Amino acid sequence: MKKNHFKISMLLLAGCLAMLSSCKKFLEEDPKNLVTIQNFYKTEADAIAAVNSIYAYLNSVDNFASGGNTAGVYHSTFWVAMGLASDEMLNNQLGAANFDQLSSFSYTSMNPSFEEIWGMHYKTISLANIAIARIPGISMNETLRDRLVGEAKFLRGLMYFNLVRMYGKVPLLLEENNPLLPEKSDVDAVYTQIIQDLKDAAADLPASYPAGNGRGRATSGAANAILAKVYLTQKNWEQAAVFAKKVIDSQEYSLWDDFADVFKLSSRGGKEAIFSVGFGDAGGAIIFWEVGQFNVRLLPTALSVEGVQNAQGWQFPTQYIYNQFEVDDRRRAVTFLTEINDPAGAYTIRPYVKKYWDRVAEPTGNSSSNDFPVIRYADVLLMYAEALNELDQSGPAHTYINMVRKRARFNGTTYANAVADYSGLSKDQFRDAVLKERMMEFVFEGQRWFDLVRTGKLQQLVPLAKPGVVPATRNNLFPLPQREVDLNPKLGQNEGY
Amino acid sequence: MRKFALLLRLVLPGLALFLAAGVLAQDPARTITGTVRNADGAPLSGATVALKDDKNTVTTGADGKFSIPAVSGKTTLVISYVGYITREVTVENAPMEIRLSENPAELSNVVVIGYGTTRKSDLTGSVVSIKADELKVIPATSLDQQLQGRAAGVQVTQISGKPGAETSIRIRGTSSINAGNEPLYVIDGMLVNSDGADMSAGGTRGPRISPLSSINPSDVESIEILKDASATAIYGARGANGVVLITTKRGKAGKGTINFETFQGWQTVANKLKVLNAAQYADFVNEGRLNAGQIPVYVNPPNLGKGTDWQDELFRTAPMANYQLSFSGGTDRTKYNISGSLFDQKGIIESSNFKRYSFRSNLEQKVNDKLTVGATLSYSRLASKGVLTNGGQIVPGVVTSALLFNPVLPVYNSSVNGGYTFENDRGKILGNPIAEAKEYTSNTVLSRFLGNAFAQYSFNKNWIFKTTFGLDAYTNSENSFGPNFLKRTQASNGEASLGRSIGSTWLNENTLSYNNNFGGRHQVNAVLGYTLQQFQNEQMFVYAFDFPDNRTGYHNIGSALNPQKPSNSESEWSMVSYLGRANYTLDDKYLFTLTGRVDGSSKFAEGNKYGFFPSGAFAWRVSKERFMENLEAINDLKLRASYGIIGNQAIPPYQSLALVGPFGEGVFNAGNSYEVFTGREPLSYVNRNLKWETTRQLDLGIDLSMLRNRITFTADYYNKRTNDLLLASPIPLTTGFNYTLLNIGNINNWGVDLDLRTINLKGQLEWTSSVNFSLNRNKILNLNSETDVILQNSILLREGVSIGTFYGYQFDGIFQSDAEAASSPVLVGQEAGAPNPASRAKAGDRRYRDINKDGKIDANDRTILGSAQPKFTWGFGNTLSYKNLELSFFFQGSQGNKMANLNNLDLLNFNGQQNVLAEAGLDRWTPTNPSNKYPRALSAGSLDVGLVSSAIVEDASYIRLRNVTLGYNLPGRIIRKAGMSNLRLYVSGTNLFTITKYSGYDPEANTFGQSTTLLGLDLGGYPQARVYQVGLSATF
Repeated sequence: MKKNHFKISMLLLAGCLAMLSSCKKFLEEDPKNLVTIQNFYKTEADAIAAVNSIYAYLNSVDNFASGGNTAGVYHSTFWVAMGLASDEMLNNQLGAANFDQLSSFSYTSMNPSFEEIWGMHYKTISLANIAIARIPGISMNETLRDRLVGEAKFLRGLMYFNLVRMYGKVPLLLEENNPLLPEKSDVDAVYTQIIQDLKDAAADLPASYPAGNGRGRATSGAANAILAKVYLTQKNWEQAAVFAKKVIDSQEYSLWDDFADVFKLSSRGGKEAIFSVGFGDAGGAIIFWEVGQFNVRLLPTALSVEGVQNAQGWQFPTQYIYNQFEVDDRRRAVTFLTEINDPAGAYTIRPYVKKYWDRVAEPTGNSSSNDFPVIRYADVLLMYAEALNELDQSGPAHTYINMVRKRARFNGTTYANAVADYSGLSKDQFRDAVLKERMMEFVFEGQRWFDLVRTGKLQQLVPLAKPGVVPATRNNLFPLPQREVDLNPKLGQNEGY
Repeated sequence: MRKFALLLRLVLPGLALFLAAGVLAQDPARTITGTVRNADGAPLSGATVALKDDKNTVTTGADGKFSIPAVSGKTTLVISYVGYITREVTVENAPMEIRLSENPAELSNVVVIGYGTTRKSDLTGSVVSIKADELKVIPATSLDQQLQGRAAGVQVTQISGKPGAETSIRIRGTSSINAGNEPLYVIDGMLVNSDGADMSAGGTRGPRISPLSSINPSDVESIEILKDASATAIYGARGANGVVLITTKRGKAGKGTINFETFQGWQTVANKLKVLNAAQYADFVNEGRLNAGQIPVYVNPPNLGKGTDWQDELFRTAPMANYQLSFSGGTDRTKYNISGSLFDQKGIIESSNFKRYSFRSNLEQKVNDKLTVGATLSYSRLASKGVLTNGGQIVPGVVTSALLFNPVLPVYNSSVNGGYTFENDRGKILGNPIAEAKEYTSNTVLSRFLGNAFAQYSFNKNWIFKTTFGLDAYTNSENSFGPNFLKRTQASNGEASLGRSIGSTWLNENTLSYNNNFGGRHQVNAVLGYTLQQFQNEQMFVYAFDFPDNRTGYHNIGSALNPQKPSNSESEWSMVSYLGRANYTLDDKYLFTLTGRVDGSSKFAEGNKYGFFPSGAFAWRVSKERFMENLEAINDLKLRASYGIIGNQAIPPYQSLALVGPFGEGVFNAGNSYEVFTGREPLSYVNRNLKWETTRQLDLGIDLSMLRNRITFTADYYNKRTNDLLLASPIPLTTGFNYTLLNIGNINNWGVDLDLRTINLKGQLEWTSSVNFSLNRNKILNLNSETDVILQNSILLREGVSIGTFYGYQFDGIFQSDAEAASSPVLVGQEAGAPNPASRAKAGDRRYRDINKDGKIDANDRTILGSAQPKFTWGFGNTLSYKNLELSFFFQGSQGNKMANLNNLDLLNFNGQQNVLAEAGLDRWTPTNPSNKYPRALSAGSLDVGLVSSAIVEDASYIRLRNVTLGYNLPGRIIRKAGMSNLRLYVSGTNLFTITKYSGYDPEANTFGQSTTLLGLDLGGYPQARVYQVGLSATF
């Protein structure tokens, strides 16, 4: 009897052990709601999605770096910072100490704007690196494959171009898997890579895309236009002129006759747009935080009496730049808002920037669907003029700057007696003229800090717009974010921070 | 006297032996037979029967019967059974009928351990046992709250006053940073899911509901807390944070009883913070503007009077009530305990509440002599309305908003949509807290089934096989709606969300246990087991914006004009385990335990799935040694030592897989047409080498019982070292990610647990006391990182410091003159030549210490400001009884812990954009009030905004009168007329007072809930309530 029981218990134990063989499977993870990296990057659709993910970090995404808020390379912090750290913009956002510090050049490495800007740029680069590494291995339409790699290279080049100008030496990461704690590369090495990426992109990208079917993606013209800017920044005037001219000669682009048309919603992806970042919820098709920041951020609260919703007026222009415009310069009327048409009686306010607001298409302001212009044709013309002047080709230089000035005096019906053509400027006078032209043409387009640093005018011009604020030499670069310096001892900090 | 007793003891059995010898000597081969029963006549199976002074023992069968060979000259039978008084009877010829009566003291000595029970005296590990009588003293929502201050080495923190909110429990310190620090809960043998994150459906506002709140505290018979490696190793990879075993009430053979319990309670906010009233605030704002060269905004501040007290508007006196009915009883073959209860609690913040309906049935049936089957089944339904507390997105939670909102403004404004004052008008973006609390709906309904069925087969008196199947299944629905007139919904124009979480854990356990005694001196028992467990969960979340009509709310989410993309997720993990334990006792003096468990978990990558967790323990009952027998004062003395390795696998699944998912999207605009695009990208930085965290723990303990058990004392020293810490480590943003989980780091916890129970007075007036004391020292030994990790801008992780170390600037008083300010080290931007003149340091600004003496104040001047880890925690309970009256009171406290009062980043921000603490605001620096503590009001240009400094890190030590209860048992002669056997009435007060220097609502608050690293941060949490209750308990 006793023995029998023992047998039974042994049998039971053996039964348990027999289940062992199935244990291996029992412990395998197989999440059905997720795709793992091993089975991704296999199809054409995967390749397109991989490149789309890069673009997605240009507009609005969850800010992975600090969590919670909305970011994206061109969402707002970047162009607001580049405006505040110059003579064109002032901060009016209560409680945004990071912006106050940028405006007064009292920022430090702790300023959260730098962490966001740095993080968003490197996130975009890391996704471009994956696309560049993985897409060539996918069997698919070869033209499309090359184009997609070209788009990724364009975006990587653009990001490094922003980084190297803002921070100087930065880690140059080009692989899918990079060292956790990378070293910084020399500025020259970064530029060499930027030029290589953009040249590759220019070779593989189409000149244009049909509207609604790729329009908005990177083109060869965009790559050449950024190349021109890269060379201009390096003061390689010859190459700057070569690539600007390539864009001009491509016949893909022209100026809108009326400056007011540049920022109409109907002009998005239009003839003057070379590379833009799209915002908006696509008529409600996607989540609302994809909308742009222009209206909420820049329009004055006082506009509520005109039916405008949620205008905060967080940043506005310095009185100084407003005063630089001639009264009849079309750009002054298009760029700034100075009057509130209160039903109880109109009144005048300090200038705010309203050029991104297509009042007809977006009567209540609020959710802005305008594109952010990374580079547009007027910029190429002015770059070409600047390069020609440096190359002592004064005549053609005058021709190209005057193309931009001519448009500025067109008031929609006639050419006003203002913004006269330049003639006979000396080389130095021309330099000042083109810098001023850029100031008036690109208000709040994220250009001003770059232009002032590039031309060495930051210390000279900022005090004119902001009395008492004198940028130091260190302000020609931004500090690396403290978090990165803390985590990666190989980085070190920029001089003076 | 004692010597004489000893003499008697020796002589008397001898005498009996002499008398019996004549009878028995005639038939040496005879066996003695009989049946052992309890007082009610039910047979007792497993009772030990032996002839006195003979080494042969037998145990009774399932029918209580025994048979033991007679030995000539031995005439006394000794019958013992756990929980009953041992009897000695004279051998009879006929089959004997022996009745044992329950030993109340002995019953309380039965201790539940993993996969078995043992007597307290046989314990080799460190286990705290808390019985129902002790727990019920504090009528609480959830049994985790009842544990507070009850057990040495167990730190329970009430992180929120929200009804039903989860608590944080730390057993012997914080031994992990990211893999979870909450203990494992085992309810009637079922390893349950206690992770609130798994159950959460994402729609709840404010802190999560505790999964333990689904257990009706009145159903609990006992709670055992396993602390050392010897006790917890049987739970292997889930034992590192300690184990809480919860045993619910069983029926007993005998007359059936009916028990009815109820209480009614009233809650008020335990503490209110003083902020400026309208007149004071207006004056303050004006002064700040004048200091910044701006025009004052309030014309005649004193005329504004007191204004709105937003806290008074937000808090209310809230009722709570509990009703419970239970039936219990059984026969020798069937036992039952069936109960149902209803608990209804309103929260002290407008609109918040918590309701629990629960039902339990515990049944056990003897099928035949060998086979017993049974089941414990419970169902509960929790319904809770929440309000948004804590920091919050878009606008802060209601508590923060109530503190900061402009007191000049009224609550209601009939001229705007919704009827409430819309928002704070002084700059800080705040929604009207009353509108948010009353109008933002957030409903949670959790239904949970928890059951465990077993079949147990006794092959013979030595071998028992048991198989169990348990199921813990829940559905949780979380729905919320914010109407379109709130500040929070300004951008969305109304928002609604529906969250659903459905999950289950099943567990199959098969154990074979062996129990035998060899020759009376060698007691052996062992258990071997094989278990399988799987957890599955699926979640769904839909939300929508833009509700033109507020009436239907989330009940009709389809009415939204801007529906958002729905989302869902699934999660699954499984474990395979083999476990074993062997106990060997020699001469009832030397006790040895070996325990081990092999766990395989799906959460880890191939090659790292299995872990082995062994432990060993030794105990020596010194009092059983001959040299101790003469020490009358000592009743029991035991020394214990244990060592073992246990694991922690509490990380989410899929961490070792590289996942690619849709994430970013955007739009390409072309004229007036657009093209939407969606990207796919890796969702996390992948680490394929993830493995278990392992904790090695040494425990040295002593159990002492003295003076006829009037003093019992337990002390333990422990030392735990945790290796391979799973750390969510910040990584450079150049990777494209900010955090990843790495197996780096070691943590050490060592400490002392002391527990002292005394019977101070005996007799008509009886007075008992219990004191427990826990000391833990925590230290990060290795972070594998040379650089500091700084979390939430305020908590430092660094080698050599404890988890929960605060880091920030050292506040150093107030500049008393402009000259002093100009010549002292100041923040960048405050220096005399700073670009913005308004920011330059002046008299009345805060001064910070220049730690690195470089002449300026910057991130390098941050220093350690204290720790959230207490130096020690304690509990002190007393019960006084006189005739039918019983008074108990219970103090509990924590000493030496700091709290970063993040509320004060705003409440001590003098820019006038929000209200401030009254004490600080009224004592602000002015030329005529040269405060050295609080700065001047300054409405623009101030740079020390949001700076974590010693000014906001406060001592959060406290002493709390947690509970006072006065009970009265009605005399038997009165209640018997009503058919009752017992009727108890009581009044009780909870949280009656707290002595603390902490300036926030509550020194226990923790905004980040059960977070392992974010300790001691207080930001707008739900304050604790003070509770008054009356109740009764009637037994029929």
